[in-house]
Amino acid sequence: MAEEKDVAELREKVARAAQLLLFRRHMQPGVKAWELKRDLGRNYLEVIKVLDGELGKLGLTVKKVGEGEEGSESDRYFVTMRGHPSVSEARTFGWRIDDMAILTVALSYILSKRGKAPLKEVERVLEEKFPRWRVEQDIDRFIRRGYLEEDDEGVLYVGWRTRAEVDQKALLGLLLGREKVGEEKQGKEEEGLAPE
Amino acid sequence: MALTEGERKELMLRIIDLCESVSKRGVDPFDVEVKEFFERLRAILPKLRDWDELHLDIEAVLGLANVIFHQGEWIKHKSSLLYFDPLLIMWKLHSLSPKELAEVLAGSWHPILDMECLTPHGIKEAMDYWTNLPSFGERARLDATEVLTEEVALQELARLGILSEEEFVATLERAWGELKERADGGEISYWDFITARTFEETVSRAWLVSFLVSYGYATLEVKPLEEEILLRPLPKPMKLERVTRFSVPIAISRSEWQRRRRHG
Repeated sequence: MAEEKDVAELREKVARAAQLLLFRRHMQPGVKAWELKRDLGRNYLEVIKVLDGELGKLGLTVKKVGEGEEGSESDRYFVTMRGHPSVSEARTFGWRIDDMAILTVALSYILSKRGKAPLKEVERVLEEKFPRWRVEQDIDRFIRRGYLEEDDEGVLYVGWRTRAEVDQKALLGLLLGREKVGEEKQGKEEEGLAPE
Repeated sequence: MALTEGERKELMLRIIDLCESVSKRGVDPFDVEVKEFFERLRAILPKLRDWDELHLDIEAVLGLANVIFHQGEWIKHKSSLLYFDPLLIMWKLHSLSPKELAEVLAGSWHPILDMECLTPHGIKEAMDYWTNLPSFGERARLDATEVLTEEVALQELARLGILSEEEFVATLERAWGELKERADGGEISYWDFITARTFEETVSRAWLVSFLVSYGYATLEVKPLEEEILLRPLPKPMKLERVTRFSVPIAISRSEWQRRRRHG
């Protein structure tokens, strides 16, 4: 009897966790660890693990992005695609091929410079391939959407959304033709909760 | 040979500048001769006389400590799995086509899923729309009214604040205040913001918004696929050079205004 009650409670919490993670309640998607703890209790990680298993059946996963020390309460949790979309699928999300290419160049350049690069340098590299107006428009948009971050000194960094959505190692690996399209990664992810 | 006060200051300022170039401009931290600079700072330390010199010495030591931190980060990065030869990456970025580059992103991309839901802010917007929606009878009358273009009256110019720069700035500030209030820390649909009870007022508000965006009080985001234009007020006016260099033409016709008044 007590066991049934526990299962029902867990189901309820998993449903609540799904609502918290999938419905946007702030300007940014995702939920902070302390919010999950507040709503789901101290064992929120176990609830998230169960939810991750359920979402896995739908080709989704729960992703954690650290925003400080390991295990910090400000870590943010998101639901992301477990696999990756094709270019044609990405176009149906509203992305142009040029936009995707510009983000690839900007991220790769920043990552090759140890995670930060002056905005002017990134723009100069991009303007060798794309018109200036598109470069400026896209960089502004990527900053607004969280793919890139810019500090007061005009230095660009990898943004929170990139940390959540882009497998940075796979990005550079694919660019250099070192790896197959994230197959290994996907296999690892299927084993459990995807790490950052 | 002992350094003069001027030479000591110059040495310390040079070290500070070099350290800043590592943290701010991405200069290779291993290009800085940390050990040599520490030895030179140690040599001049007993000769430092005033507070300014001591302050510079502290800044230089902190700067060098920061360079050592960056050296550590560099080693960690290079030994991590994320290290790839920057030259090779640059070569690839130059040689691949936009489509190939897009495929690289797609292959490493796991987009976030989230669903928009009705928020208190959304309910308020809907309520405002409903409250401001003219009655059916009024809308029918609006359809039948035809107002031809005419010269802008002097009084109208004064109302818009064109006649006096001070008044114009005040008008702009008022519009900015309203935009910040209605956006409530986020963004608001361009059409929701400019649409007013009369067509003339709508055009007047659109005209003010064009200045808010051009003068850096707000940013405008056009989403062609969603057919949406979003206004985001900035906390303080900023010179957005990269935004002001292109124009976004937005046609506001009477029929479009009427359509939006009816359907939102």
